[in-house]
Amino acid sequence: MKRYIVYAAVFIVLLSSCAWHGVPVTDPDDIVYAPLRFEPPKAQRAKLENGIIVYMLEDHEIPLVNISAVIRMGSFYDPPGKEGLAEITGTVVRTGGTKSMTGNQIDEDLDFIAGKIAVSVGTDSCTLSMSVLEKDIDKGLQIFSEILTSPAFSEEKMETAKILEIEALKRISDNPQKIAFREFRRLMYHGDPRGKLSSVESIQKIERDDLLGFYKRFFRPGNVMIALSGDIEEKDAIIKLKNSLGEWNIPGGPEKPPPPPVRVGASLNYIYKDTPQSVIIIGQSAPGKKSPDYYAFEILDFITGSGGFRSRIFAEVRNRLGLAYSAGSFYSPRTEYGIFGAYAMAKGSSTVDALSTITKILDNMRDRGVESGGELAWAKESTINNFIFSFATPQRIVMGQLMLEYNGLPDDFLTNYKDNIEKVGLDDLKYVAPRYLSEESRVVLVLGNKEKFSKPLSSFGDFYMEKNGTENREN
Amino acid sequence: MTSVKNLRYILRECLVITCLASFFLCITLSPCFSYDLKDKVKEFTLKNGLKVLIVERHASPTVSLYISHETGAVNEGDGHTGTAHILEHMMFKGTKTIGTKNFKEEERILQKIHDVGDALDTELMKGESVDGQKIKDLRKQLETLQREAGRWSIPGEIDRLYTEKGGGDLNAFTGQDLTSYHVSLPSNRIELWARIESDRMLNPVFREFYSERNVVMQERKQTVESNPGRKLMEQFLAAAFMVHPYRRPVLGWAPDMRFLNIDYTKKFFRTYYAPNNTTIAVVGDVSPNRTMKIIKHYFGRIPSQEIPARRVTKEPIQSGERRVKLVSDASPRLIIGYHKPTLPSFDDYVFDVIDTILSEGRTSRLFKALVEKGIAVGVNTANGFPGARYPNLFVIFAQPVSPHTCGELEEIIYKQLDLLKTQPVKPEELEKAKNQLKADILRGISTNSGLAGMLSYYEAVAGDWQYITKFPDLLERVTPGDIMVAAEQYLEPRNRTVAELVRKQ
Repeated sequence: MKRYIVYAAVFIVLLSSCAWHGVPVTDPDDIVYAPLRFEPPKAQRAKLENGIIVYMLEDHEIPLVNISAVIRMGSFYDPPGKEGLAEITGTVVRTGGTKSMTGNQIDEDLDFIAGKIAVSVGTDSCTLSMSVLEKDIDKGLQIFSEILTSPAFSEEKMETAKILEIEALKRISDNPQKIAFREFRRLMYHGDPRGKLSSVESIQKIERDDLLGFYKRFFRPGNVMIALSGDIEEKDAIIKLKNSLGEWNIPGGPEKPPPPPVRVGASLNYIYKDTPQSVIIIGQSAPGKKSPDYYAFEILDFITGSGGFRSRIFAEVRNRLGLAYSAGSFYSPRTEYGIFGAYAMAKGSSTVDALSTITKILDNMRDRGVESGGELAWAKESTINNFIFSFATPQRIVMGQLMLEYNGLPDDFLTNYKDNIEKVGLDDLKYVAPRYLSEESRVVLVLGNKEKFSKPLSSFGDFYMEKNGTENREN
Repeated sequence: MTSVKNLRYILRECLVITCLASFFLCITLSPCFSYDLKDKVKEFTLKNGLKVLIVERHASPTVSLYISHETGAVNEGDGHTGTAHILEHMMFKGTKTIGTKNFKEEERILQKIHDVGDALDTELMKGESVDGQKIKDLRKQLETLQREAGRWSIPGEIDRLYTEKGGGDLNAFTGQDLTSYHVSLPSNRIELWARIESDRMLNPVFREFYSERNVVMQERKQTVESNPGRKLMEQFLAAAFMVHPYRRPVLGWAPDMRFLNIDYTKKFFRTYYAPNNTTIAVVGDVSPNRTMKIIKHYFGRIPSQEIPARRVTKEPIQSGERRVKLVSDASPRLIIGYHKPTLPSFDDYVFDVIDTILSEGRTSRLFKALVEKGIAVGVNTANGFPGARYPNLFVIFAQPVSPHTCGELEEIIYKQLDLLKTQPVKPEELEKAKNQLKADILRGISTNSGLAGMLSYYEAVAGDWQYITKFPDLLERVTPGDIMVAAEQYLEPRNRTVAELVRKQ
């Protein structure tokens, strides 16, 4: 034992003498790391008697509690002509008061205890989330559960919500990227409710009865899941949830929106906007998380443009050519379907250069896949090593597990993720790339002022003008 | 101190943040309360003056690492705006041992690129009397040399090393007062971070300088020129400050950026990225002793340097309202700002409270008077713009709902500010604001990166991270009377700058 201590001391002396005398440092690729052992804590799953499914994880580092209710509703269900109803319903659930409190009383009570309750509405999910100090959990839960189970939908608050939403829609025209990404969504989900966009007119048509009907259709225990994490004991949490939500009894199971129809055809679309920088987005339909192609496509996306400086679009468009500050790709997989996009924001005169550079990168990927084992290994190692951050906070762990069930993915999806990525080979990429990057189903969108382009967009094809100022060419 | 929500406000302004930089950054968070931070922070100083703060948190095997240099755009000389920011970009280009196939060969070409680039800039600066043929030749030479250099360099190596080992949130921020480099890693990889970061503090190589200059010009086009809110902000600051460097945008003025200079950038680096001008914060699943051993080994070899005294022109007292109008094809928006002292002045704490009373939450005064009434689509306030090392501004941002005008908004806002001067804030409202400030801090420090960012920020900007732990007591001392006095003294028309975006007819 003694000898061990002596060695340790010598070791330290040596180390520090290296340090002070500038002995060459190791090659960063040769650093040896201790193994990382980690079993991510598992959230507890419980089902209340009324059918609400709850995921919980304790975390006593900071005296805060976070609760989120995820409700299966969203803009997918907006009735035609009243696009925006889900959004307005979500807002007024939060602001319009409850059976026992006005909206203003709720705000006063919450602000006084520095609690926060927010609603966010997506395509097929709506999240009501609360962050509250541990000592105020009872007060917070009382407000939270009333908002969830008995909102009053005050007419006045609805009017305010509509006014603010309309103004926000008008202001989208100030933001070239927002205009482009909204239009991109419309194009990618053409012919599906996911592609419908709200407008000033559709918001104006929304009435209080629409909100009541919409609420009634979606807010019921069987259509809600709850994630809870923070400074609270699991058994206390369950008792408190039972006390505040146990009385809520409405029959009915979960809503399940059908996936969008398979999109066919290519299109080239142009939006005129006199802006110093064009926005370019190229979209393709991509596999969903249940598809056997999912893991290979994750790697494909990483190498193409989402893997940082080394990824192909970033390295070429930004680093080598200096054409853009933002350039890369994104992949948003859902359970049954997904969307892949490549993008760049480039100055007017470089628009066509940036567009053709990205197109070439996609074509090259489609035709040749990935040929270098090094590039594949880099993408796999990065994805696997970074995976630990899915478990970086209790909130992420709890929400991650909840979303698996919400999306109908198997329990072991996350546990097996690393192994599945590890299995991706060059052959898989060679198989997947042409399936999803075909030019025949590519949607190209360019926003900018074509007078500033150094080459005409027509080198990519012809356009026609749509009524909203968008030029399109469909194949 | 600016609060967490201000950072969110700034970030909301940008839709896609791929990487690097911000106009003026406040990575600021508020202090902690019932969480006992004081005993959790281990503090060390290396012989070369490098400050290290470590907090152990074992919830997940990850670690968040911040390096903050006490420098930023304020240290740039006139005509060199944008230097601090392009330097931050250059720091991602590698070192003598990272990002090269053969540094000796590469260095030779880099020197030539440097000479040709300088000659080209000198010629271009002649403006109208420029020699067209000479420019053409030099550009051609530069391109050839850049291609040649490309044969020896391995681009994106720092990013590759980090991502491959699981790094996330790799980013850097340049502000007026502070420049920070941040990454989160699986906790067994700290040595990789130490190896890379110490090397770039010691031996950075400014590869691809001239093409990166184009990238930052694009960044400006994307984040300022295509963004009416940021464009207005730039005009606003240039009017609010006459002589203090806070008047200049962190990204730089476009005409300066065209001629960003490699020698000047190197000199800036050597002067301000010294270990004795730097704070490291480490928060996560680490052992402080082992971490310090690694940090000493790698960072201990960097020599300390004398930091020149800061010579910054003091902003003269404003003696009359200033107004700016920006005509643009965009919806109207409004920015109003008042000069005020910075931390650790007691008035700065009073303004934290005023900030909260005016715009935090749905029951804040301006939210109720403007947003709840459907007159403004958004309103926000910020204490401590655009930096915190020097006296700064208290700022109000608002965007009217059409057909309401900025003029109407101004009137309502001024009425609210007058109320602060004439009527004492009720005890419950003051308590609410203090509760909110304390809870904001807890939320800010609940993540590893939040806490690491805050520790390095206050150590670098306030000179002592314990500013955070002392904050709650000072906050408690703020009385309704203090608010009236501060409002009366600073929130007055003579001390005001108003910027308004007017739609092009």
